[in-house]
Amino acid sequence: MTALTVAGLSLRLGDFALDDVSLTLPERDVMVVLGPNGAGKSVLLETIAGFHRSARGRIAIGSRDVTALPPEQRRVGFVVQNFGLFPHLSVAHNVALGARGHRRGGPVADRVDVAALLERFGIAHLANASPTVLSPGEKQRAALARAEASHPDLFLLDEPFAALDAPARAQLRLELAHFLRERRLPALFVTHDYVDVAALGDRLALMRGGRIIQCGTVDEVFHRPVSRAAADILGFENQLVGRIEGGERRSTRVVVAGRILHASATSDAPANGEITVAIRAENVRLASPATPPKGAADNRLTATVVALEPLGALTKVTLDCDFPLVACLMSRDVPDIGLAPGAAVAATIAASDVHMVVA
Amino acid sequence: MIAVPQPWRGGGSLGSPLVVLAAWLCGGVLLAFILLPLFQLVAVQTAGTLLAAARATDVQSALTLSVTASVLTALIAGLFGVPFAYFLARADFVGKSAVAAIVDVPLTVPHTVAGIALLMVFGRHGVIGGPAEEFLGLRFWGTLAGIVVAMLFVSLPYTVNAARIAFEGVDPRLEMVARTLGLGPWRVLAQITVPLAWRGIATGLTLTFARSISEFGAVVILVYYPMTAPVQIYEMFLRYGIEEASAVAVLLLVISLGLFILFRHVAYGRRPIAGGGR
Repeated sequence: MTALTVAGLSLRLGDFALDDVSLTLPERDVMVVLGPNGAGKSVLLETIAGFHRSARGRIAIGSRDVTALPPEQRRVGFVVQNFGLFPHLSVAHNVALGARGHRRGGPVADRVDVAALLERFGIAHLANASPTVLSPGEKQRAALARAEASHPDLFLLDEPFAALDAPARAQLRLELAHFLRERRLPALFVTHDYVDVAALGDRLALMRGGRIIQCGTVDEVFHRPVSRAAADILGFENQLVGRIEGGERRSTRVVVAGRILHASATSDAPANGEITVAIRAENVRLASPATPPKGAADNRLTATVVALEPLGALTKVTLDCDFPLVACLMSRDVPDIGLAPGAAVAATIAASDVHMVVA
Repeated sequence: MIAVPQPWRGGGSLGSPLVVLAAWLCGGVLLAFILLPLFQLVAVQTAGTLLAAARATDVQSALTLSVTASVLTALIAGLFGVPFAYFLARADFVGKSAVAAIVDVPLTVPHTVAGIALLMVFGRHGVIGGPAEEFLGLRFWGTLAGIVVAMLFVSLPYTVNAARIAFEGVDPRLEMVARTLGLGPWRVLAQITVPLAWRGIATGLTLTFARSISEFGAVVILVYYPMTAPVQIYEMFLRYGIEEASAVAVLLLVISLGLFILFRHVAYGRRPIAGGGR
């Protein structure tokens, strides 16, 4: 059973467009749609919610084809940036509006007990408060309670906490993940921040220029970006063009600027074929060249420090290992390793952290 | 003794106290310019002259006519202007800025010019005035309808502009959320959009009312009789002089200011939170 099926959706909307977008969301899964600003993520969500008429394609929620239905009949819970609470209504009224919406003349058993819902979300004491005085966490709970009151078949979340500061964002992300997992509600969560992915998603779709460029489980997509564009969206700081030299049963040797990198996956690409390897900066470990390698160092490269860029608790280090390489480490480790521009350093990368970009 | 430093009382973004002083000086001149003539107008009155003016039937009917016509104008402006303002705020189309400019045209047309132009359209031989009388029996010269037409022309922009700005201030995503909660487009308009834009709409209607009750130029050309209060004041000024006219002027001033304040109070006095039950 699928919670959402989007097939061949295309439309044009001013500067934004959707180009042949297809998705399937299994029942009870949360899919994160990740992409840069302007990728068409919000347009996709708004189209699924019913606000834009698609030129081509089909949308089904569960087994219902909703392509031709107006938003009020699609049964989606829509959560927008800053949560979209109605500022002229009390919290209880906001939730009651969600409860009233779908069920005009419906059976009594179907009516939602607003007080019980507020209780469950831990905001009963705010029932008569104005949404404008709520903390971001309380706003999120009120918005989720309101959406829940309308019995949605699918949750659509459009960067609800993108406008908040980092600590608040982390807290709300945690609460939202808890809510979605506990309720086992299918949801599509749109964001441009890849930190949201692991915390919230079972599945991950990468979007760019109105197209889905890769879609799969979070692990698959995170570890095997199929294109440089995908690796860009996933935030891989290092993307190195190399050549496949050969491989064993479970690993591949890639030559980058004359130096060999071992990757722990096999590649379908032909030997001598050009390939891009993607490596996260935090997976490049640095040590003083005098330190003997600890454990299995799949890839140990001698390098020269080009530049240091302190970023608070972390420091970004640009290296020259015959090719440019960016590493990221705790700032407190910088003096121990003796990092300074021009200094020699040993960089190690686990083979499992060297990702081969297929295309 | 340790000298306790005085807290720095900066003038905020205004900076130096001199700037604040200069601002107060300029503002004081302006306020005096507005208030002095009105104060003078009221100060010369005695209870006797005011009472005598208020008892005169022609004054009473002129004031009643002014209030009736202005309230009617504001209602009609709301009926046509508010939906149009919503359309202007939400729709995106080629020539939108031209349409918005047309809405502003009455603000720049001299009111006597507006009156003459309206007379040509709504008068006995006008493209609307002629057929309207022939088929509907509706006459615009010498009638309340004509007064409303003249008032509407000069005061409609205030309602459209204020309501448009108010609608633009309502986040479209709130309307989207309301739709997904199961509300149809009309219910969203009634329960979300209009309540959120209400203050701006009410401000626009109040300004339209205020502009209408003070209108002279356009009205006097289209409809001299029956006389609205400003026309009555003008005629008394010509016939009897400043003293007779000023008593009626004070009455009009009190009524229009009083209603203006009342309407504003109604618009702003609404409880901000519905259902914030005690």
